[in-house]
Amino acid sequence: MDSSHAAAAPAHDGGHATVQTYIRVAVVLAIITAIEIGAVYVPGLPSHALVTVIIISGILKFALVVAFFMHLRYDSKLLTVLFVGPLIIATAIILAIMALFGAYLLLARA
Amino acid sequence: MAAEHAAAAHDPNIGCTGLDHRKMGMWAFLGSECMFFGSLIGTYLSYKGKSINGPGPHEILNIPLTSVSAFVLLMSSLLMVLALAAVQRNDMKWGKIWLFMTALFGAGFVGFQCYEFTHFVHQGLTLQTNLFGSTFFVLTGFHGAHVTGGVIWLLALWVLALRGRLGAPDSLKVEICGLYWHFVDIVWIAIFALIYLIP
Repeated sequence: MDSSHAAAAPAHDGGHATVQTYIRVAVVLAIITAIEIGAVYVPGLPSHALVTVIIISGILKFALVVAFFMHLRYDSKLLTVLFVGPLIIATAIILAIMALFGAYLLLARA
Repeated sequence: MAAEHAAAAHDPNIGCTGLDHRKMGMWAFLGSECMFFGSLIGTYLSYKGKSINGPGPHEILNIPLTSVSAFVLLMSSLLMVLALAAVQRNDMKWGKIWLFMTALFGAGFVGFQCYEFTHFVHQGLTLQTNLFGSTFFVLTGFHGAHVTGGVIWLLALWVLALRGRLGAPDSLKVEICGLYWHFVDIVWIAIFALIYLIP
């Protein structure tokens, strides 16, 4: 067993969420997922409203997992920069490729 | 700051930032993975609806089935944090149980994906059929490969725990594996929303 880990852990951890918090977050994630899937089956829901619900739900779920399960909320800001920086670039890549190819989520294609 | 420097002097894994190199390395890796999957998702969305021949997504994607598999993967993230919490408090009985359950849920997700892929091939959709087939299989296939890698990693930790070589002092090993596992979960959150749910 590597005893160096014991010294490593308290040096950078700003405290993690409790088990109760994890369970609460999981319940919220399940509810958001149910809303997201349920929206697909709502008859007559306009396409742009459906896309909006799905994207907002996805962003919320993404943020909850990263903040609480991946402990980014409690960890060093440097780790947030290491992850969010490339995430912004990735989002820009997606939007740039879609713009170049004339593909849009909300607007009908010509 | 003085405490961080003292820790750095004793532990070769702690750098001048006061952070563990292995954890920072994993976050940097996950950042690069964001760009990797961002490119694949962008390519899928760009080619969406541009296939000359079928079958297309509306004819073939099974939302109820994939909703179940998405839920399984989402709940595996909960099991992963429960495993980490158990290992951190040196409760290795529950640590082993949660690690194994996380791997089992991950394997279940891969099973769903294998079934889905097989079903699609029987329906006439392969990697070569059309733009939808190429971009869909490459994107979800790479994600499935990542999940498979995560399952193997989790099982390796579980075996270490069974042999008594994993405890609270090694909790960082579980935490880093957990970071990877949650990442494959958030990638699926994006894939599920953008590929399966958006019409």
